[in-house]
Amino acid sequence: MNAPTPALVGRPERLRLVGQRRQILAVVHQRLMFGMMVYAGIIAVIVLRLLWLAAFGDHVGRKGVLTTLVPPRGDIVDRDGQPLASSIDVWSIALQPLKVIGDKLQLARALARLMPEKDEATYFAMLRSNKPFFYLQRRASPQLVEAVNALGEPGVALERTPDRLYPQTSLAAHVIGYTDIDGHGVAGVERAFDKQLSDPTTRGQAITLSISSKVQQALEHELNAAMTEFSAIGAAGVVMDVHTGEIIAMTSLPSLNPNIAGQGSPEARFNRATLGVYELGSTFKPFTVGMAMDSGVVKSVGQIYNCPKEFHYGKVTVHDTHPFGRACSVAEIMKESSNIGTAQIALQVGAARQRQFLTKMGFLAPVQVELKERGRTLTPGNNWGDIATMTVGFGHGIAVTPLHLATGYATLFNGGVYHPATILKVDRSHSVGPAHRVFSEDTSYKSRALLRLVVAQGTGKKADAPGYRVGGKTGTAEKLQGGHYTSAAVVTTFAGVFPMDEPRYVVVAMLDDPKPTKDTYGFHTAGWNVAPVVSRTISRIAPMLGIRPDMNRDANMSEVLPFVHETKEH
Amino acid sequence: MSVRSFRPVIAVVTVAAAALSCYLVSLRVATERASLEDVETKIVLAQRDIRTLQTEIGTRGRLEQLERWNVKVLALSAPKADQFLDGGYQLARLARPSDEVHLDAPVVLASAPKPRPLPSLTDDDADVSSVATDTPHRADRRNDGPASMMHVASYGLAAGANAAAPRGSIVAPPTSSSKTVRNRASHDLPVATADAKGSTHHGPALTGSSREKATH
Repeated sequence: MNAPTPALVGRPERLRLVGQRRQILAVVHQRLMFGMMVYAGIIAVIVLRLLWLAAFGDHVGRKGVLTTLVPPRGDIVDRDGQPLASSIDVWSIALQPLKVIGDKLQLARALARLMPEKDEATYFAMLRSNKPFFYLQRRASPQLVEAVNALGEPGVALERTPDRLYPQTSLAAHVIGYTDIDGHGVAGVERAFDKQLSDPTTRGQAITLSISSKVQQALEHELNAAMTEFSAIGAAGVVMDVHTGEIIAMTSLPSLNPNIAGQGSPEARFNRATLGVYELGSTFKPFTVGMAMDSGVVKSVGQIYNCPKEFHYGKVTVHDTHPFGRACSVAEIMKESSNIGTAQIALQVGAARQRQFLTKMGFLAPVQVELKERGRTLTPGNNWGDIATMTVGFGHGIAVTPLHLATGYATLFNGGVYHPATILKVDRSHSVGPAHRVFSEDTSYKSRALLRLVVAQGTGKKADAPGYRVGGKTGTAEKLQGGHYTSAAVVTTFAGVFPMDEPRYVVVAMLDDPKPTKDTYGFHTAGWNVAPVVSRTISRIAPMLGIRPDMNRDANMSEVLPFVHETKEH
Repeated sequence: MSVRSFRPVIAVVTVAAAALSCYLVSLRVATERASLEDVETKIVLAQRDIRTLQTEIGTRGRLEQLERWNVKVLALSAPKADQFLDGGYQLARLARPSDEVHLDAPVVLASAPKPRPLPSLTDDDADVSSVATDTPHRADRRNDGPASMMHVASYGLAAGANAAAPRGSIVAPPTSSSKTVRNRASHDLPVATADAKGSTHHGPALTGSSREKATH
C-alpha cells in the first residue's frame, strides 16, 4: 500500500527537478502576491485619500491664514483710539553681489545716481565683495523702488518688510519708545510690553495708553516754548488723573523722533520724567505740612511759627527768599514758600514719621509705573538725622523723578489715597492699581485751600488760569555742580492741581537749568519761568478734559485767608 | 425574471447616484466656502488699505504739524473763561440788539394800515400783473382780526419772495420761451421756480413788485 507506484516514481534527478520547480513556483507566487498586495495597498491609500479629500478636503484656491488682519506687531493707540505706533509694510532695497549678472561698474554707477548717499566707488566695492547681502535702503520711496526695479538687475532685491511707524513723530516719544532694527522694543511702552506686542495671539489687539495725544501736544508745545525762551537744557512734564493714577500726558525734552531713534542724541533719549531724579525743592512743602496735619503736629493752618530772617540749627543756617522776620502762620509759610517755617514743621514731624510717609507715597523706591526706565531715588538713607529731615521737608537732600512728584500730589489731593501711576487706560480690561491710604481726607481737604492760596496770592501767581481754580506750589532747587550747590544753576518745578474745589488733574512741569531773561527781571525762580507754562497748559487742556472754567467757584478760601497777614502791596 | 436579474445593477446605480449627489452637495459647499473666503480676503485687503490710508492721513495731519500751522498762520488760542456759556439763554443774550433810540426813524402807529404796494411802473401786461401784486394784499384783508391791524416788522421777505416766484412763472410776460417755461413748470417745480426767477427779468412789473417787497 505504501509502496511507490512505478508511474509516479521517476528517476531521482527528475524528481529533484520537479521538487525544485515547485519550490520556485511557490516562491514566485508568494512574491507576486506580496507585490500585488503592496500595489493594492498603495491604491487603497490613494483612493481613501481621494475620498477623504472629496468629503472633507479644502479646495484648491484656499488662501490660508489671510482671513483676519493681524499686524506683524501690535498697534499702540492713545486713549481716544488715535494711533501712536503702527506697523506698515515698507520697501527695502538690498544688494546681493553674488547674484549680479550685469556689468558691475555700470550697476555701481546707476546705484550712485539713484541713491547718492554713497558714492560710486563704495557701491562698486560692495558689488565686488564676497558678502552675500547688503541693505542699501530701508523705507525706500515708491519712486526710488520703481527706478531701481527698472534697472532689471536680479542682484538688487526689492522686498516689502514690516516696519514700525510713529505717525505723530516726536509726540510722547519717551512714553511710546521705539524699536530696534529687528522690531524689538528697546524703550518705553515698546519695551515694557514687547511680549504682548509681538506675540501672535495678543498682537491683534492694540494697546490703549492713558495718554491723550491732544493734551500731550499741548504740554509738549508749552514746555518746549518755555525751554527755548529760558534756554533750559531740558524739561519734563506730567499730567495725571488724581483718582486713577492714569498718566494723561508725559514728556521729556529735548525730544526725539522715534522713527529715526538712532539719530537722537543720548540726551534726547533720556526720559527725564521717569528716569531722571531731581531735587524738586519747595514742591515738597505741601507734603511736609500734610504730614504735620495728619500726625496732629499742625492742628490748624493758623498755627503760628517763629519766622526769623535766618534760622540756625546745629551747623546749618536756613534762609528764605522772602524772609518774614516775624511770627507767621502755616498759611503764610506756604504762601511765601518759607524754608524756615517748613524746616520747623519738619522737625516737629520727625525723621521717622517723615520717612514713613515718604515710603507710603512711594518716594523712596523707583516710581511705580509699567515703563522700564525708572530711576532710583536719592535719599539721605542712613544719614536721616534732624538736618536731613529739615532739608527733605523743603525738598532738598532728596531726589525723585517728576512722576514721583505727580503721584505724590495726586495722593495728597484725591482724598489721601495712593494709586500707582499707570500708562494704560483704566477701563474694563485694566483696573486702577492697588491703593492704600496715606493722608486723611481732612488733611487732603485742608491742603486744597493752602495751595490755592499759593497761586491766588503767593509765589505761584503766574500759574493761575482764570476760571480753572488752579492750586499748586513752585519749587526752585539749586543744582549740585562740582560737589556743591550753586545758585547759578537751578531746577525749577511747578506742581499744580486743578480744579482746586474738586481736584481732578495734576500738572507737573519742570525746567532744568533755565536762565534768567529780561522779561523775568533777572530771576530764574519757578514762579517766573515754569509757572506760566502750567497756566498756559491748563488753559488749553482743561476744556479738552471736560473741565469748565467758572469764575464763580473756588476752593474754600475762608479756611486760610483769616490767617494771612495783609500787607499793603498785596 | 429580467427585473430580478437587473436588481444588483439597479442597486449599484442607486448607490452611485446617491454618492454622486452627496459629492455634488459637498462640491457646492466647497464652492460657497471658496467665494466666502474670497470676500473675506477682499475685506482684509480693504482693511489693510484703510489702515495704510489712515496712517498716511494721521501722519500728514499730525498734531505737531497742526500746531506749527497754528503758530505760523492761524494763531488760535485757548478759549478764555468768559467765552464759555451756561446755555442757550446766555448765548441769546449776547445777540440782543442794543437799546439805541433812532430819532429820525419813522413813527409807525399800531393801527396804521399797511401801505398799499406801489403800482407797477411800466405796464405791458397790466391786468395780469395787478392780479399778481394784489393777491397777497387781499389775502391779508380776508384774515380780519386784531393781527391785521398791526404793522409787523419782520424779515419775512424770503417767504414773500418765494410765494411770488411760482406765481411769477404763470404771469410771466409773453416771451418767446414762455410756453416752454409753463410746460416745464407743470413737470418739475424746482426747475420752474428757477426759470421764473430768470423770467422776472423780462417782466419789469414783476421786478418792481418784488423790489418793493424787499424794501419792506
